[in-house]
Formats: sequence, structure tokens, C-alpha cells
Amino acid sequence: MKTVFTAIVLIAALAAGSSQAADLSDADEIVSRANSASYYAGSDGRSEVRMIIRDAQGREQRRQFTVLRRTVEEAGDQDFLVVFSQPSDVRGTVFLVKKHVGLDDDRWLYLPGLDLVKRISAGDKRTSFVGAHYFYEDVSGRDPGEDTHVLDETTDESYVLTHTPKDSSQVEFSHYQTWIDKSTFLPTRIEYANSSGNVYRRVEVLEVEEIDGHPTVTKSRVVDVDSSGQTDMQFRYIAYDIGIPAEVFTERSLRRPPGEWLKRPATDQ
Amino acid sequence: MRRIFFITALLGASALATASEDPSDDWEDWGDDSSAGGLRWTGFVEAAAGGRLQNDALIDDALTLGDLRARIETEWSNDKVTIDFKADAWYDAVPDELDANIRELSLAVSPTAQTDLLIGRQVLTWGTGDLLFLNDLFPKDWVSFFAGRDTEYLKAPSNAVRATWYSKPVNIDIAWTPVFEPDVYLDGERFSFFSPLAGGAIAPIPPLDALEPGKDFSNGEFALRLFKTVNGREYALYAYHGFFHQPSALTTALEPTFAPLSALGASYRRPLMSGLFNAETAYYQSRDDTAGTDPLIPNDQFRLLLGYEREAITNLTVAFQYYLEWTRDYDDLIANSFSPEFEPDEYRQVITNRLSYRAWQDKLTLSLFTFYSPTDKDFYLRPAIDYRYSDKWSFSGGANLFGGDQPHTFFKQFADNSNAYVRVRFSY
Repeated sequence: MKTVFTAIVLIAALAAGSSQAADLSDADEIVSRANSASYYAGSDGRSEVRMIIRDAQGREQRRQFTVLRRTVEEAGDQDFLVVFSQPSDVRGTVFLVKKHVGLDDDRWLYLPGLDLVKRISAGDKRTSFVGAHYFYEDVSGRDPGEDTHVLDETTDESYVLTHTPKDSSQVEFSHYQTWIDKSTFLPTRIEYANSSGNVYRRVEVLEVEEIDGHPTVTKSRVVDVDSSGQTDMQFRYIAYDIGIPAEVFTERSLRRPPGEWLKRPATDQ
Repeated sequence: MRRIFFITALLGASALATASEDPSDDWEDWGDDSSAGGLRWTGFVEAAAGGRLQNDALIDDALTLGDLRARIETEWSNDKVTIDFKADAWYDAVPDELDANIRELSLAVSPTAQTDLLIGRQVLTWGTGDLLFLNDLFPKDWVSFFAGRDTEYLKAPSNAVRATWYSKPVNIDIAWTPVFEPDVYLDGERFSFFSPLAGGAIAPIPPLDALEPGKDFSNGEFALRLFKTVNGREYALYAYHGFFHQPSALTTALEPTFAPLSALGASYRRPLMSGLFNAETAYYQSRDDTAGTDPLIPNDQFRLLLGYEREAITNLTVAFQYYLEWTRDYDDLIANSFSPEFEPDEYRQVITNRLSYRAWQDKLTLSLFTFYSPTDKDFYLRPAIDYRYSDKWSFSGGANLFGGDQPHTFFKQFADNSNAYVRVRFSY
């Protein structure tokens, strides 16, 4: 009898342990896992993205594009190819990014009207991505090594961290706070504060789905608090580990977008 | 005057129409973009007006731009081929006529896994210069550029076959244009230009119509590019066999024509100190006058370009270029020239600067492009403002301002053509 009881207690403890892993206390470890969950799910992936950009007057603009992503080195360099399909004046525009951790990214933009492969200087990554309230850096990920991280609080659902830039001349924020989901390690909310401590920019995750075993953000929003403009972003037809070769992320794809990898996966959502 | 009224009315009407923007905001009303269900037709309608900022004694008309243009575009593809189509039809108020032009009608196929073919009418571009072209010897439309049409129109289409072969050691790009396609050059209809023979500016009536090489394949153009990117550094070698695209030569009957040209070149582009550095060089061999003694035909030239661009402060990009044209056999040129006083310096140099500022979520772009030649002592300024009001409506305005010391130099010769323009575009 005693043996059975002991066994039940053990099983219960194991079950509890698996659903409620011990909280992490190392801020760098949490950030590293959040970075992996947000930007490194699968060895590669594709997603169709729609954005609705609203300004303070409620006027809206739309963007639609497909993103292909390939990880060159786990938690390190990555390649991105962004192919625009809407609106009509940007249709056929293609954006290629070679993200380098610790170095400037390489970025190219193809303008089909001029057949021009335009190189974009690394410069400021915290500027609008194609007119949205999202920044380039929100799309390809901010290098965790550029900030110092402090764990402020651990709630039932989230780790709450504050991040301070090592070089404040490179960024417009004084610090930012993230709420990272304890089970998925996806940030659910990010708030950027200016030097007087006021939050002027907020990123919210509105919907998360599990796709090919990876918890994945499928709807998010950026709010420019000062101007009350905002951009909603929706991700659809997501697939991971589809085997996109390295050659897809070259000049060839700028002039000739790779139809084989851009077409929707067979299993529709 | 009637035409100006017509275009003003159009601009006014389009401004009013912007008030009826669709405020809907649901993901559901987006409409799907799946390719099923036939062709998607897109394009725009645009009204554009521009006028001279001073009188040109040679051209009565103050209007330099008066377009009412419709663009249609579509694309069809299956697993094997893609067909692209882009065409414009427009009323051009300057000559008071209707025009149409196919910008693109091309078939794209990949006959092997590493080869892309693009056959048909297409726009071709390569090289690293910003509005300075060394190895990009594809046709340009300078009339559209000077008149203030969208920058897209600077690149004139070619009827060509482009084959690109991608491989690990090097990528090879070949463009064959079977029938020589010249630039759309200044012909006096809209803009005057300097004639060394006349010793002054001219605007011929009927407009200048330079003698083109015969339309046989032996007069076709071959352009070759070998290129490779290693660790973010772009290397390229270029070769060209064809003709100068400007009617810069004269026949023995003193008719303007296009001299045979062969060119070899190289370029390099890399990130540098958070910016971009580029270098490009080209040697132009004027095949019919390699000795440089024939006054009717341009001499050989060595050309060099150095550029640097960087985002100076958030949303403000600053770019500089230094450009050199070294005319070979210069003493022979001067000794034989009909008008040595009008020949440019042996080392003609141009410095350019581009300032580009984006604001309001990239909806507004302010830019200023400056060409200045310290050797010719002349300049060309291109201020521009572009406002993307919505996905449908956009507004542009700007000016083309030429000036300098002496009437014959490259930019100063266009001084009486200085103009300002506005454009309103509705995209569908």
C-alpha cells in the first residue's frame, strides 16, 4: 500500500513538474529562448503577411507580401526574402536581407519598374518598414547582444524583463520592457519608453497558433502611442522546415522570385 | 492655353475624388490574392503638367510636360513560364498627340535549373551609379527624365533576350538586343540643346532625327556582365559591343548619328562604415576613331565613378559621387575639332549629391539631387517632393534646374529648359 501511495505521489510530482517547469531566473537565458522562439522556429519557414497601416486620421494603407526565411546558424545569421504582391504600386518589389549578428546586415531592394537592384545601407534599422509602424528590426529581430537584460518580475504567465541598450545613440528608446510567455517563450507585449519613462510605442501579440509544432504569432499590432497610428499584421499559410536552399536568397530571386517556394503549402489553414 | 486648363481641371478633379476613400478595415474584405480566377489587372492613371521657368527664345510653348496617362499591367504564369505585360497609353499635350508604348511584354523561362531566360520587350539595368551610367549601356529616355516624368521612365525598354546563368564560381548575364535601340535623346521638340556646328542652342523643326544604324543583326547590341557577391561585397565585370546611345557623331554629310562603341568595365560595391561604397570604371572604345583624330566621331574615354552613401540621421540619407571622364588622344581631338572652344576638358569631372528625407511613415519623401561639374562650371538640380496620400493616390512635384557659366557645357546648354512639374497618380 505504501509503495502504491509513493508511486502516486511521484507521478503527481512528475506531472506537476512537466506542466509547471521551474521558473527561469537568468534574464539572458530567457531572452535567448525568446529570441529562438520568435525568429528561429524551424530551420526555415515561409509565411504570407498582410498589414493594415492606420494613421491618426483613421486612413489606412495595406501591404501584402510573402516572407521566406532561412537560418544560416542557430541563433545567428539568417536570410530573409520578402516578395510584395500588394498594393499595385509595390507589386513585384523584392527585399533581400542577410542578417548578421554582431555586424551590419546586408540589404537589397529590387525595383521592377527600373529593373534596379538597389543596395540599402545598413544605417538605421529602427525606421519604418515599407510605411508600417513596424521597424526593419521588428521583422528580422533585434540582436539580444545589443541590450542588457534584467528580469523584473515573474508572474503566473510571464517573465517581465527590462532591456537597456548598450549604445543608446543607435536607438530611439531609452529602454523597453517585454512580457514573455512562460510556456511558449514568445513575447506577448513589448513597450518602448523614452527618457522620461513614458511608453511611446507598443507591440502586442494578438493571436498565437501552434504550427508544425512551433508556437507561432499569427496576429500582432504595433501602436504608435503619440500619434495613435497603428499597424496590424497577420501571418497566414505558415510552414516550417520546407527545405529552402541557400541559393534562393541571392540576386537571382530579386529579379525572378522563386515561385516554387512562394506558392502556398498544400495544406491550407 | 486650352491644354493647360484641361490638365488643371484634371488635377482638381482628382484631388476632389480623394475625399471618397474607402474606410473599411477588416481582414475579411481584403479579397484573396490566390492566382486562381484569371489575370489580375493593375496599373494607374496619371495626370502630369510642367512648364518652363523662363522663356526659351527657340521654343514658343511654355509647356514641357502635359500627360494624361493610363498604365495597364498584368502577369500570367504557370510552373514553367511567366509572361509579363506593362503598357502605357497617353495623351501628350506638348506635341498634342496620342501615344502608346509597351514597356514590357516578356516571356520568362528557366531552361535549366541554373539558367534564366527573359525574352521580349523589357527594361534592362545594371551597374552601381546613381543617375550616372558607365556600364549600363541600355537605352535611357532623357526627355522623360528632364520633363519630370516618374524616374521609371528614365529607363527605356529594349527588345532583347537576356540570359543569366548562375553558378558557384561566377554568374553570367548576357543581354542581346538584335536591333540597336538608341536613347530617347533631346530633339528640339520639347527642349533645346547646344549645337557646336551652329555655335549656339538649337531646337530644330522638324525635330532632330538622327541616322540610326541599319536594322540588321550585325548592328545588334551585346552586353555582358560577370558578377559575384562574396560576403556582402559585389564584384562585376562588364563588356559591351554596340553603339553610343546618343547621336554624338556626324556622318560625312554632317548628319547626326550613332558611332560604334565597345566598352569594358568593372564595378565593386560594399558596406563601409554603416554606409555603402561603390566604385565603377569603364573604358569606351570608339571603334571608328580609335586614334582620336576624326572630328566627326567621339574619342575613346576612360570613365571612373566613386560613390558613398549613408543614413546620416534617422530617415535622412546622404550620398555623394565623384565622376571622371578622361578623353583619350585629347591633343588630337583639339587639333582636329571644328570647334575646339566647345570641347569639354580632357578630364571632365562631375560631383553629385543626393539628399533624401522620409517622413510621416514614409508617406512623404523630400529629395534633392545635385550634379555639379567643377571642370564645366555648370550644374543640374533636381528637387522633388513625393507624397503617397494612400495606396491609391499619390502626388509629386519637382523641378529640373540647369545653369552654369558657358552656354555650351553639358548642363548649362539646357538652362532655357529649366522647368517645374506636378503629377497626380491614381493606382488601381
